[in-house]
Amino acid sequence: MNIKFSFIIIDDSELDCFVTQKLLEHSTKYVAITTFQNAEYALEIIRENAARNSPVPTIILLDLQMPFMNGFDFVEEFEKFPAEVKKNYRIAIFTVLTAASNPADIHKILTYQAVKGIIEKPLTKQKLLSLLIRV
Amino acid sequence: MLYVDDEPGNLVGFKASLRLDYHVFTAENIPQALACLNDHPDIRVIFCDQRMPGKTGVDFFEEIRVSYPLPIRIMLTAYTDVESIIDAINKGNIFRFVKKPWIEADIIGAIEEANKFYLAVSMLSIKNIELQKAYDELNKFAYSVSHDIRGPLSGILGAINLANEIDDVAEMREMLFLMQKSVKKMDTYVLSMHDYYSLQRGELKITEIDFEKVIDELKSIYTVLAKVNEVAFDISISQDGIFRSDYAPLRLIFNNLLSNAFKYQDRNSKNKSVKMTVEVAKSVATIYVKDTGLGILGSHVGEIFNLFYRSNSLEVGSGFGLYNVKSALIKLNGQIEVKSILHQGTTFKVTIPSI
Repeated sequence: MNIKFSFIIIDDSELDCFVTQKLLEHSTKYVAITTFQNAEYALEIIRENAARNSPVPTIILLDLQMPFMNGFDFVEEFEKFPAEVKKNYRIAIFTVLTAASNPADIHKILTYQAVKGIIEKPLTKQKLLSLLIRV
Repeated sequence: MLYVDDEPGNLVGFKASLRLDYHVFTAENIPQALACLNDHPDIRVIFCDQRMPGKTGVDFFEEIRVSYPLPIRIMLTAYTDVESIIDAINKGNIFRFVKKPWIEADIIGAIEEANKFYLAVSMLSIKNIELQKAYDELNKFAYSVSHDIRGPLSGILGAINLANEIDDVAEMREMLFLMQKSVKKMDTYVLSMHDYYSLQRGELKITEIDFEKVIDELKSIYTVLAKVNEVAFDISISQDGIFRSDYAPLRLIFNNLLSNAFKYQDRNSKNKSVKMTVEVAKSVATIYVKDTGLGILGSHVGEIFNLFYRSNSLEVGSGFGLYNVKSALIKLNGQIEVKSILHQGTTFKVTIPSI
């Protein structure tokens, strides 16, 4: 992979954040990797950095099932940002899919423009690389 | 029961012969009858005459079938023309038809049968509510299982995959530490699930409770935790008189409240403290658990006792704890109140009567 990216990981599980971060460190040419265990906080930071124009796109790896603000709420809030902010980001849903996951919800979230794809946990190098090619 | 008839003489006779065994209300007309039904929702059986000025008995039954569906409807009338019988059955959905002049044995037989039917229907609706609740919880379970069991599992699997890429021992150790945390979390989850089931299904085992003893065991566990986390920990217990209750749910309440008080401390704070007071007087135990922790957002306080609700993004919560506390308190006829100020702390007040 020769294209460079920044990454934001939003996941309430400390272990998942760590694993994802390490995997990114080992297999991509990253500019920066930031992890958040709280989606609301991530949203705040994105808002604060809105004025800064990033030279490389930022990929947001977003867990869906989180307490407080879940992934669905995050995407809905994210969509409210102005277009010039949104264009710097690509969201990839990164979650555990189970029988309890509502297909309609998943389908809906994939219709948002910023949402580029969905990866099922656990993350592997192959899944990561195929995602990076897609975005 | 309620008897509706436009002839006062009938009402008096009816009430006179049945009042010793039943609680009898009477009404001379439909508006009176409706007012009586409204004031006494526990009426189980309604007798009604067919021919009355204004509305007929069938009309009345047809109306209350919708607005008061629970009481069992019995037609009591001298007119036995086929039309009105058919109407009473089809429109009024009556349970019995008793012919005037009535004999006491017929009436009593009808009342007893109606009462049995009423009880069966009531039980069914209670069972239905319970079933709905169980079903709703099952739904939440499906969600929670994916987050709290599959979630950590996939995290651990991801970590194992990653292990192939890692050569650095320090990094590996860090990861093992996080893996261990995930495993512990799953273990806690399964244990709380066990608490949940024993609370839902178990019978009460009432014994005399010595609060010193109940708390003693927990005290030693939490004293260690307090030392490690530099939290000032203080317990005071005063018990005057005998207190009877069930040991297991009591212990669960103490354990969960203490565990939360330590869990939701502000890690950066200098003055961390947990204070518990237990006061037993006049057969009522009043327990305060006060912490100087993160506090709960005002808008979340109403939801903290819901199953799987987590008001904090800290990974440690499973959403079982306070729900289990609440279930335990319902079993013990206890109450819980919470006062919380964000970033300052939370105080839980629990009152439990002796059984």
